Amino acid sequence: MALKKNKITRALLGTGVLTLAGLAPAQAQAADGESIIRDRCLVCHTDTGDASAPFSRISEQRKTPEGWMATISRMQQQRGVVISPEEKRELVKYLADNQGLAPAETQGLRYVLEKEPNVLESFDPLLQETCVRCHSGARIALQRRTEDEWKWLVHFHMGQQPTAELHAGARDRAWFDIALNQVAPKLGNDYAFNTEEWSQWQAVEKKSLDGRWAMSGYLPEKGQFDAVVVISQNDNDRYSVTLEGQYADGTPISGSGKAIVYTGYEWRGTLTVNGVKMRQVLAASEDGQTLEGRMYQRNDDVMGGKVIAVKNSAITAITPSYIKQGERKLLTISGNKLNGSISLGAGVKVISIIARDEERTVVIAEASRTAKVGSRDIKVGRTSADDLLAVYDELARVEITPSDSIARVGGAGGSIPKQKSWYRAVGYAAGADGKPGTADDLRLGYMPAQWSLKPFDEIAEHDNDIQYAGTIDNRGIFTPGDAGPNPERKMSTNNVGNLTVIGMVQDGDQTISAESHLLVTVQRFVRALID
Amino acid sequence: MMKKPMFSKLTGAIRNTALTAVIGAGALLTGCAATQPGSNQQGAESLPNGMKGDGHEYMLTVTRPNQLHVIDTETDQVLRSCDVPGTFGNGSIAISPDGRTAYVLTGMYENIYGFDITNCEITFSTHQSYDNVQVKSFISMAVSADGKELYTVQNPVRKHSDRFETMQPRLAVFDTSGGLKTQPVRTFPVDRRITKIAAMDNGEVVLGGGDLKAINPENGETRLITALQNWDRAPDKWVPPDAFAMHTMGEHVGEFIMPYFTIRWNGEPGDESKADFLWGHVRIDLKTGDVEMIETVPFEFIVFNWVTDPNDKNVVYGSFNQLSKHNFKTGETLGIHALDHTYYNINMTTDGKKVYVAGAGNTVSIHNPETLERIGYLKMPGDMSTSDLRLAVLK
Repeated sequence: MALKKNKITRALLGTGVLTLAGLAPAQAQAADGESIIRDRCLVCHTDTGDASAPFSRISEQRKTPEGWMATISRMQQQRGVVISPEEKRELVKYLADNQGLAPAETQGLRYVLEKEPNVLESFDPLLQETCVRCHSGARIALQRRTEDEWKWLVHFHMGQQPTAELHAGARDRAWFDIALNQVAPKLGNDYAFNTEEWSQWQAVEKKSLDGRWAMSGYLPEKGQFDAVVVISQNDNDRYSVTLEGQYADGTPISGSGKAIVYTGYEWRGTLTVNGVKMRQVLAASEDGQTLEGRMYQRNDDVMGGKVIAVKNSAITAITPSYIKQGERKLLTISGNKLNGSISLGAGVKVISIIARDEERTVVIAEASRTAKVGSRDIKVGRTSADDLLAVYDELARVEITPSDSIARVGGAGGSIPKQKSWYRAVGYAAGADGKPGTADDLRLGYMPAQWSLKPFDEIAEHDNDIQYAGTIDNRGIFTPGDAGPNPERKMSTNNVGNLTVIGMVQDGDQTISAESHLLVTVQRFVRALID
Repeated sequence: MMKKPMFSKLTGAIRNTALTAVIGAGALLTGCAATQPGSNQQGAESLPNGMKGDGHEYMLTVTRPNQLHVIDTETDQVLRSCDVPGTFGNGSIAISPDGRTAYVLTGMYENIYGFDITNCEITFSTHQSYDNVQVKSFISMAVSADGKELYTVQNPVRKHSDRFETMQPRLAVFDTSGGLKTQPVRTFPVDRRITKIAAMDNGEVVLGGGDLKAINPENGETRLITALQNWDRAPDKWVPPDAFAMHTMGEHVGEFIMPYFTIRWNGEPGDESKADFLWGHVRIDLKTGDVEMIETVPFEFIVFNWVTDPNDKNVVYGSFNQLSKHNFKTGETLGIHALDHTYYNINMTTDGKKVYVAGAGNTVSIHNPETLERIGYLKMPGDMSTSDLRLAVLK
């Protein structure tokens, strides 16, 4: 305890010195990352004297911007670090730039940064049982440490969360020994501090993202949208952003904000879109021509969806992404710098062009009755996209995404809001073998559906979960019930429930439905920057 | 190989248990709303010295924010509430053999205060952490049969300026006459993951960890009582046990009891259709050292612990969402009673006439062991959370 007090005192003293020296916040902000480390972190960490790893512990880890932010926040909350918001921002930037992860190292793991809900992970059983019983696997896999650093992380758990080795899944084995002597060396190997990917990425010249972009995406409340995004560089890696476009139904989408790029590609935007505060977690491609990721509501991160923005000429989406043999329908082609003749592939004709600009073309298209079932490449002028449009004979099956999901009760005067969940129906044709559910099924894309709920099993039916757990609307958005014990329920339980979500898709005279599992549970009381 | 199916098994088993709970519940809540006005701290304040010796029995528990309560098992009223210094940890209690001193683990599992339960006077204290070493004990506290020593299992972690360093756990021996701010007189290295401990009449301390061991607190000599995690049963026949060793108890009959969950594969390993999901337990007679290990009770009930019927040691009671009664010998379920909320903890009087359930809320529910019907209900001033419920027999 004395140690902690001492730390705080010294940290405060540090601040005092700064103040006495007459440094205004703006000047403090200008301090470079390394001097912030020296001023703020070396109260406890040490200068090793080794130029390749100058700061004890800090220099032997690489993390995402969110990872560094979480670390510094923990140092503030639990170790008494005193650091101004400006310095903290500067330090996160410095550490993420100099000790970040290469794009290749975040591949397949970005969902956790993007706050994508209901992702089912699969990791090595050793990691799964040791780490992933509490954390997302991505949280581990988005860090790079030396083996010793991974070992210190195991030690950290015994100090910070000492009951971790008594949890279910830990108490039935020599958890600490396994974590220290099996898992840490494995992590040191699988997620090593020094990697070729990182060396290569450090050598890459990072491109400015300044320019006019076309963005396509999906937001659960209003659906598919297209927008022109103008990105203006204000300062090194700092941008202002405007977004102007429309949803598929013609409703305008409009917003503006700012963004910072970390590690040369990690775009973090904060925008107000149609009056709602939103975040963008995007990754820039190495050539600086594509930004891809997720945009979500700041106060309700479930409510968001995938977005892609392109700077060069490119086709990003066609909506809907399917056309039936013999059908005539309206299709919207989205992208950037789209000029020239439109080709929708063999057997699909453009009958007329309804509206057209460089980012968005609306056409009436017709598929011939004999058009071959299968996917088509789309071309506009010299720009093309592979397998974007599906020509099909009949709808054979439907899948609901996500297949497993969680929603959480909330509100009702409590400080934690409800956590919703939302669903989409994906249609498939049977493919050449005529059998649905086989490898050659043709994915048609997202289809409109009617949504309903039913009890998942006999316990849910007996407990009447359907009455309490929440409701689903015609957009497929599930809103859970109010938080808190409910005296109407058995043992005054919360409005939790075990439900099946049913999506029913109409295709001509045919109706096909599919199901998905929804567990409505209690609030998440501990929220992490990286779950 | 064996770990993975165990999880899915466990989940399945819990689902089955939940289903049993539903079907067994019946019209459970109707009678519970009309709870007794019960309890009252008023009583506690108006009866500051109303305690009896000669084997009179008191049930002790801890509530948030941090108070030790003394419940008279004759009147089922809170007789006295003692403020415990520091932040609530998990509410562990150990009681001296004369029933007079209750040692309470507090300060986020780090500090211990010994209270004279007749007047709330603090007669003993220790802060286990020292220098830059953070020392926590998980549940583990026991008093020697002669009352002269208090044992804890310490889990130390050294806090260097920029890192934690995990240290070897150890048995710490305190002199109970050490007074305030006392420190261990001896320490001996022990295994990790030890929670429940108990002192045997022969002087040894039972260490409830991955395996059950006994340590001689004079010289640190340790012997295996019975292997659990490292048992030598064929892995294709048995899943190694998972013991959720929360709450030490058994003082009303002088025993230590450790329940565990296991699966017996009667067909291929992983074939649930042919498997038995079982509660097992190790029960140690603290007087004789006799050990019983048996798996009979079907895993259809979630319990945090068993409490033995003093009048028939084959009969045990467990609580969680229901209070249930079982025969260890036959595996037979003798009774189920739905509860109004979850109760983590359970205990009994030495005459076997009352079962108390507590924890996970702010009510203590008292039941007739014969019928399992509720015979008393006590509202406590705060949440008991994971706290112990222990019996002090005041001499």
